[in-house]
Amino acid sequence: MSSKQTILSALSQSALDNHAMPEIDVVANNDDLVGQFNASLQSVAATLHTDGGLASLQQAVDDLIKQNMQVISLIEGIKGNRSVPTTAHLLADIDYAVIPGDLGVAENGAIWVNQPSHRVTPFICENLILALSKDNIVANMHQAVKQVSLQQGDLGLFISGPSKTADIEQALVVGAHGACSLNVYLY
Amino acid sequence: MKIALFIPCLVNQMMPEVAIATLTLLEKLGHEVFFPAGQTCCGQPMTNSGCFDEAKNTTLKLLNAFKGVECDAIVCPAASCLVAAKENFHEFDGSKEAQDVINKLYELTEFLHDVAPIKSFKRPVAAKISLQMSCHGIRMLNLATPTEEMGKQRFNKVEAVLGNIAGLEIVYPARIDECCGFGGTFAVDEGAVSAKMGKDKAQAHAATGAKYAVGFDPSCLLHLDGMIRRQQLPIETRHIAQIINDAL
Amino acid sequence: MSELYTASGSKVHAHKADIFCRDETRVDWHSKALWALREKRDRAAGSLPEWEQLRLLGSQLKLHTLSHLAQYLEQFEQQCISNGIKVHWAKDAQQHNEIVHGILAQHQVKKLVKSKSMLTEECHMNPYLERHGIEVVDTDLGERIIQLAHMPPSHIVVPAIHMKKEEVGELFHQQLGTKAGESDPLYLTRAARAHLREKFLSADAAMTGVNMAIADQGAIVVCTNEGNADMGANLPKLQLHSMGIDKVLPDMDSAGVLLRTLARNATGQPITTYSSFYRGPQDGGEMHVIIVDNGRTEMMKDKILAESLKCIRCGGCLNTCPVYRRSGGYSYNYTIPGPIGIAVGAKHDDTNSIPWACTLCGSCTYVCPTMVPLDKIIAHHRRLKAQAKTLPYGKGGYMPLVGRFMASETLMNTSMSAARLALRVLPGSLLKPFSGAWGKYRELPVAPESSFASWYNKNRRR
Repeated sequence: MSSKQTILSALSQSALDNHAMPEIDVVANNDDLVGQFNASLQSVAATLHTDGGLASLQQAVDDLIKQNMQVISLIEGIKGNRSVPTTAHLLADIDYAVIPGDLGVAENGAIWVNQPSHRVTPFICENLILALSKDNIVANMHQAVKQVSLQQGDLGLFISGPSKTADIEQALVVGAHGACSLNVYLY
Repeated sequence: MKIALFIPCLVNQMMPEVAIATLTLLEKLGHEVFFPAGQTCCGQPMTNSGCFDEAKNTTLKLLNAFKGVECDAIVCPAASCLVAAKENFHEFDGSKEAQDVINKLYELTEFLHDVAPIKSFKRPVAAKISLQMSCHGIRMLNLATPTEEMGKQRFNKVEAVLGNIAGLEIVYPARIDECCGFGGTFAVDEGAVSAKMGKDKAQAHAATGAKYAVGFDPSCLLHLDGMIRRQQLPIETRHIAQIINDAL
Repeated sequence: MSELYTASGSKVHAHKADIFCRDETRVDWHSKALWALREKRDRAAGSLPEWEQLRLLGSQLKLHTLSHLAQYLEQFEQQCISNGIKVHWAKDAQQHNEIVHGILAQHQVKKLVKSKSMLTEECHMNPYLERHGIEVVDTDLGERIIQLAHMPPSHIVVPAIHMKKEEVGELFHQQLGTKAGESDPLYLTRAARAHLREKFLSADAAMTGVNMAIADQGAIVVCTNEGNADMGANLPKLQLHSMGIDKVLPDMDSAGVLLRTLARNATGQPITTYSSFYRGPQDGGEMHVIIVDNGRTEMMKDKILAESLKCIRCGGCLNTCPVYRRSGGYSYNYTIPGPIGIAVGAKHDDTNSIPWACTLCGSCTYVCPTMVPLDKIIAHHRRLKAQAKTLPYGKGGYMPLVGRFMASETLMNTSMSAARLALRVLPGSLLKPFSGAWGKYRELPVAPESSFASWYNKNRRR
């Protein structure tokens, strides 16, 4: 018998009673979603920019380029100075990656990013910039999981703040293996 | 009310003052109190180590001391023993008589909170007391909302019962309901950890500046008392029965 | 604490705990560090008015899934396959390691980067692969630290919590060439970042654990703060993910509930930095999922033990456990320590002592985000050991005697009367040596003159 069959047949001897799936009906706090989102972003060491929309994002990108930063943009209409390379490893020297966010979650500052190319882009960059529409902020994860898009074969992820660790004596260090900073532009 | 006292073996043999205070305070409140003979250990030392066969005799003897005894309630001044008695009676005797006994069992605090609240106290007790929120009472008898639990509906039966005593200042140690480390045979099996837990708890009580560490579980108090005197801390243990009795 | 791990001799919990407790300053530091996580958890959990509702939902959806596990596992496999993910089934640790090795060998992998997976620890995968000539690099910072120190994790979420920063600094100085005496966490983390970046970029394959496996999507979810799982999975073209059968969930709604409670209960954060849903391989890449039993179906045959499988490995029970905090993660004779470690590891503990590394205080049960009845499970393990006649600490010998003693009023009364007299009359110096563990750490009780029963007979009995 294959291991699969061994395991599935062993499960038929489970002693657990049948339990029904619960109804997941949790009250959402929909007050001032942008305000909640901002507070959450701050608590996870990210910074929110609400003025000037995509124009101010392009301005920020231009300033970075002037400082000789390597900037790649995956947002249509935002121009960096690097294009998507043939292999993911060639992104190793990217200082700033600018990536579109589909949805923001007010309760925890998480932003859904869907199938970036290359997949490693939001992680390998030294600093991350995400942009999303202020109309696409939901209150909590229950709402978010119902709305995010995750096609077959794709990678989709929630990003909440820059990478971090507290593995050395519980001291919080911002910037572990992923991006060392996160700036979020709301348009 | 007619009240039968369930006095666990530890209290009977080593801390009779707790039982005397319990009896006295209930009499002062106008209840008819008696102590059925033939009470043996509830079996907890054995069942806590998974040894149910070894506990059967003593548990059933204790149950028999209460079966068919005419009373309105069976009150016990020891939360952990009460929890064990309920569980162990149920384990060994599925009869209606046994269930009738179980239904009448109350820990002292829950009795004074849920069943027969004290209308007024007669004397002040001028003391700052640090409450020992013992695990069985908090997490298995619902005497107070444990600190792990969240939500607006918080309650504390111990504070409610003692709160009306004039002159009493109630404080809590840091890590309010962290276990004191007695744990029955744990104190002997895991001597080092038990002692460290007891020392931490005793120091936390003493650090409040309270005169007494007051609790509803005699086992915890015995353990803390041993630690307090070893550490020579400026605090003493008292059972809530003693505080309440002093106030009536 | 490494001497606790490497020391030969007794693996009995109380003996290891005794050694741990000898350095009281260290115990205080360790206990405080873990309690700080409990406090952070309380603040985060308390900030959600619906927290207790989420715990109940977590418990219910897990119970539903576990009671239909075969169906959900088959759905998960089908969905994975239609997403281009290869699925393997391993009945035990040995088979898991063989399957993983087989995949890696087929692709001539020399270097594997791995993110945190307690399952791979449970299967002792690292030494197996290393014996077969594959370099395994643990990329979670805490895991890398203990890997370099040749020690296992002492906590399931913060593996190096038992190490002081000076010790990490010294370790990095020896192994990574950081400056001697430099122990600033920021400096050390940056050094680890550079060191591990090189590994990510040169790895042949990556492996991650699985926090959740979503049946109706054929997707696995990996939650990290560091981004190491994703750096690994998205650079080399071969990615492997190992999961216990208990990680499967029906749908995205279920994931939504647990994504709200997991990080809050573990560290007090609202969510981990990254929650990545892998629903297929990269372009030109391969993605493998290995589904592992290794004793889980066995646990499910016992109704009480089965509830251990609701665990989402948040570590909250370790942080609150007063015994774990004062005995450390190396004293449980099993991969996972603390309350959940006892729950899932007691059957494997050949010292039979870990179910008694507990006062049954119940704090773990109340902290658990999926309401695993940990204290009930631990008490059940004690019963199972008693039934199997594998009790520790001489209990098999003395419990029957205690039972007989307690059942006899006469015996109790006469011997306790003698004990009280001895306590009152004999000097402490004579009594203490006979009072064992009690008298070693505490003053002996002040003995009353007589029992309550005799007081009652004198003063009240009609």
